[in-house]
Amino acid sequence: MTPQATLPAGFAAGEPYVARWAATTTAERARRRSESTPDERQAFFDAAAPRLQDAMTYLDAKSLAALDAADKRLLNLMMAFSHVQMAVEVHREMEPRHAAWREAMVITRSTTDLA
Amino acid sequence: MNADATTVFRPPVEKTAWLGTDPIPARPYYDPAYYELERKAIFMRTWLNIGHVCELPEPGSFIRRELEFAEASLLIVRGKDDVIRAFHNVCTHRATQLVREAEGRTNGFVCPYHMWNFGLDGQLRSAPEFENFHTTKEDCALKQVPVDTCGGLIFINLDRTNTQSLRDYLGEHLAGRLEMAPVAKATGFSEYVYELDANWKMDYDNFQESYHLKFIHSRTGAPSFTPGNPFGHSETYDFYGPHRTQTFWPHVDMSVTSPTQQVLMGAAAKFVMERGLMPNPTNREYYALFPSFFLLGSPTQHFSHMVYPLSARKSRGVVRLYWVGEPQCASEMLAREYCFLVAREIHSEDVDVIRAGQRGLNSGALDHLHFQQMESLCRHLYLVSSEMVEAYKDEQAAKGETA
Repeated sequence: MTPQATLPAGFAAGEPYVARWAATTTAERARRRSESTPDERQAFFDAAAPRLQDAMTYLDAKSLAALDAADKRLLNLMMAFSHVQMAVEVHREMEPRHAAWREAMVITRSTTDLA
Repeated sequence: MNADATTVFRPPVEKTAWLGTDPIPARPYYDPAYYELERKAIFMRTWLNIGHVCELPEPGSFIRRELEFAEASLLIVRGKDDVIRAFHNVCTHRATQLVREAEGRTNGFVCPYHMWNFGLDGQLRSAPEFENFHTTKEDCALKQVPVDTCGGLIFINLDRTNTQSLRDYLGEHLAGRLEMAPVAKATGFSEYVYELDANWKMDYDNFQESYHLKFIHSRTGAPSFTPGNPFGHSETYDFYGPHRTQTFWPHVDMSVTSPTQQVLMGAAAKFVMERGLMPNPTNREYYALFPSFFLLGSPTQHFSHMVYPLSARKSRGVVRLYWVGEPQCASEMLAREYCFLVAREIHSEDVDVIRAGQRGLNSGALDHLHFQQMESLCRHLYLVSSEMVEAYKDEQAAKGETA
């Protein structure tokens, strides 16, 4: 299952991370973070951190209702980035232990799930 | 750290001295017999948060909530008259539970067993061959449970004989504060739920003391530990009958956060400003409503946390981040995602130590626990709940029954 190149123009550097990270629900983004390896997180962080502000500036030029599929994918990718940022910048080597603790907190509803 | 002792924050001892300094008995935190007393003396007859009005947006909207400590299933319903009512989810014919859906919208409730049909107001509308019964429809209405709201929060009271209004129970000050907090205007929420092998007080106490912050949240809470207040003491504590509040120390140090975090946190602050939720007198307040509900007033991380007892040594927590209005742009979505994950991140760090404390208690090794000033809210919870247990025992004795 290979997704097509599907991010908005100008964000092609994010393509290698879409399949792994651009999940459509908060619970799924949290799960993927917990199941990822340190190398996967670091590579995504290094690629996305310098583009976070650009991506949000691009997306904020439209209303939420006007986002097309590629825009939504970029937004989901940036929301996944916020999870990965926590692992890479805050927990660092402690992330595996935190992943085990987070399992106890089951996400039952989120207003940032993008259908 | 070379901060002069005179520049370090001194906790307001005058606010908490009245609570005393005695060690606290350990048994109430693990003993099944004591839990049974608390269940009857407190949870079966106290106002408890069970939801929010945004879950009942229109006439016919309902939610079903299970309260295991009471073995009760409740339906909370918005009627055609816009009034919110709560009923036991129990058919008055032969007690069959009526509704299996967790929430929804309906014109009424029909029992799956013999098709008894109830209106949104709980009245029995029809029942097949009702003329063959020896009762009246009026006597067969759903069993109602007292329900009321404050600041958009829905509370129920399982004591049908309860006569104290929710507002009287909360007191004017706290009721007024809840009405000013963002939760009063909330239109939606994100939620996570946990079950923990811990007594409800062990669970709850963790979240009402600051003593553990520096050790358990050393990284996620880093901005809170500054030379002027290295352990992150609360600025002050206040007590309102059985309820209590703490006011967080305002001088956090955001310079310890990364550029990425500053973008994410900055977005969160920007949107609460735009929605007019800041400034607000509840910003630094943490409201602990007896017996087991919290609300953090801060609009950037505006969460409620309700702890439901499941047994003497087990509890469930429901944490909700309340939002005002639909997100208007991508950055507001990202800000909400981030606020939600940070709250979950911090709460999940507590799970292991709470469980470890409960295992220690269950061994019976300790006769007493010790609370310092930073744990004054824990002390207050014990004093209030044990007073209620004693009062209940006295009531039962006066009736000639054992508690």
